[in-house]
Amino acid sequence: MGVGGELASVKSGVRVVSGGEEREVRLAPGVAALGDRELPFREIRDGGEELVALEVAGEIFPVRVARAGDRVFVWCAGRTFEVRREIVAAARTRSSGAADAGAGLLAPMPGRVRRISIPRGERVAKGDVVLVLEAMKMEHAIRAPRDGVVTRLDHREGDLVDAGAVLAEIS
Amino acid sequence: MGRLGEREAGAEVALRPIRRLLVANRGEIAVRVLRTAREMGIETVSVFAEDDAAALHVSAADRAEPLGPGPVIRTYLSIPAILDAARRSSADAIHPGYGFLSENAAFARAVSAAGLVWVGAPPDAIDAMGDKLRSRTRMEKAGVPVVPGSPAGIRDDASLAAEAERLGYPVLVKASAGGGGKGMSRVERANDLEAALAEGRRIAAAAFGDDAVYLEKLLDRARHVEFQVFGDGRGNVVHLGERECSVQRRHQKIVEETPSTALDADRRRKMGEAAVAAARAVGYVGAGTIEFLLDAGGRFYFLEMNTRLQVEHPITEETLSVDLVRAQIDVAAGAELPMSWRAGEPVARGHAIEMRLYAEDPVEFLPRSGTILEWIEPSGPGVRVDAGVGRGSRVGVDYDPLLAKLVVHASDRAAAVDRGRRALAEWVVLGVETNLDLLRDVLASDAFRSGDYSTDLVPSLLRKERAPVPDAAWIAAALALRGERAGRPPETADPWASAESWRP
Repeated sequence: MGVGGELASVKSGVRVVSGGEEREVRLAPGVAALGDRELPFREIRDGGEELVALEVAGEIFPVRVARAGDRVFVWCAGRTFEVRREIVAAARTRSSGAADAGAGLLAPMPGRVRRISIPRGERVAKGDVVLVLEAMKMEHAIRAPRDGVVTRLDHREGDLVDAGAVLAEIS
Repeated sequence: MGRLGEREAGAEVALRPIRRLLVANRGEIAVRVLRTAREMGIETVSVFAEDDAAALHVSAADRAEPLGPGPVIRTYLSIPAILDAARRSSADAIHPGYGFLSENAAFARAVSAAGLVWVGAPPDAIDAMGDKLRSRTRMEKAGVPVVPGSPAGIRDDASLAAEAERLGYPVLVKASAGGGGKGMSRVERANDLEAALAEGRRIAAAAFGDDAVYLEKLLDRARHVEFQVFGDGRGNVVHLGERECSVQRRHQKIVEETPSTALDADRRRKMGEAAVAAARAVGYVGAGTIEFLLDAGGRFYFLEMNTRLQVEHPITEETLSVDLVRAQIDVAAGAELPMSWRAGEPVARGHAIEMRLYAEDPVEFLPRSGTILEWIEPSGPGVRVDAGVGRGSRVGVDYDPLLAKLVVHASDRAAAVDRGRRALAEWVVLGVETNLDLLRDVLASDAFRSGDYSTDLVPSLLRKERAPVPDAAWIAAALALRGERAGRPPETADPWASAESWRP
């Protein structure tokens, strides 16, 4: 279908959770990847540019969305869902593109390091909260994208960080 | 002077037209009452606490009178504050809605003493029915069957324990001064009674200011069927049919319907007669509701009387094509009940179902707060929504979490259930957790569709699994988080970075 090419160039996506389910969603023009499934989609908006429906793989779904920070309220298929963003910053891979030797956790937005949950040198499991960033009046859990050891931890509690700053590395 | 509400033969009943009505309430019922008053050409006054300044009911009236800052006891529950608002606005009548001061006899008396028309029940009737235990005794005297229970005057633990044995477990410990399903606890066996009584007294004292409790036999798998009654100042008392209210969570109603599938013509007639007898026994004037319980064997028992307009009154309005608030105002102004009501039993046309939308966590039923970011009401034939909120409304935890009522009406029960499901599927409420999905599950359940259900229905539905998230919902959420507008990709380098609130 030729869509793989577009999506392959979209390295980052958003990890979202809703009621016990989670997905990694990547978006390119006209196609979305949910995990490893690719779906063509089209947005249907009304006169005020508000999203009123999505055509996904040929089927039309009325949708309404409202967002509050990292929470998105979605009405779809006659039911209501609350979908939250999971903060797992994009893993910074080595240039070879092969299996990562180390994964860097980047600050997804400017904020303040509120709490360091796992000190340098400690082991972590995938999904463990490494540190908590406070931004936009909310706390964001920065989680380990893989099992490993915290080999780098550049900041202390209370430090301000910029978007994109390397918060930690897991090797 | 004869009994309450009766006039001596030949006495003139003065007609006292109402010119300016103050609605001492908030939310959906205030909006609903104000609407009828407007239709009747009556000037309207709303009242609001400071945190309600932007509420829908405020702008639904010709004038709005502030009640000052909370807490509620100083605003909607404050007799002086309400009367002061009436004085400032030169209102000549007050409608109390439901809840708040609607069943407060002192308020009713104070309104009349201030020279205003009270659009509600006679204060003596409110007193008589407000004490649940005394009202049971009164009903027994009137020949109305009551739920088997401990008689008034039995107070000590030892005697209550003997009563519980006589009734047979399980029993319910209830507050005499209570109502609305609050302060009740279930006791399965004798060993648990003493603790339940102590707890019941504590809750009763805290919630109603009176620690008196009594026992009732717990009727399992009971159906809750209530009758709308109406009296006027000329001694006429009629009933306007029943409402089935058995879909409940923790003793609070969430879905009601009429007619009830549990009643045939004979039972309806008998219960209707009992309801009218009950209302007559207290000289009732205005709109009221007699609540009955039906046991598994089809026997009915008086549960309690609500001396006010009921939340679920719209389903009666839809099937009988009447406006109960208009009738309340007319009766309060001195009019006689309409001829068609006095002529005989009303015949319902079609079937109506009401679904209550609450702001709450759908599992634990704890109230939720937040801002309603999107609100799109269902519409179309046979669909009515009585709402007190809209897009942008702030929902707090200080008030009752009832946001709105969806009422559907169709030619028969199956069509009404279909219509209810269709309307629920169209209802968009975003930003605050609600019981919308639970309402959908209720209407989709086999038990509800068949009409053969009881008060066990909601607990059984909570064991269901969550619905899976559709692909379109994941995509829509991702679009929103990416901060995309109008289909154009964002200009910033990091498309996932922005975190402010808006709608794509």
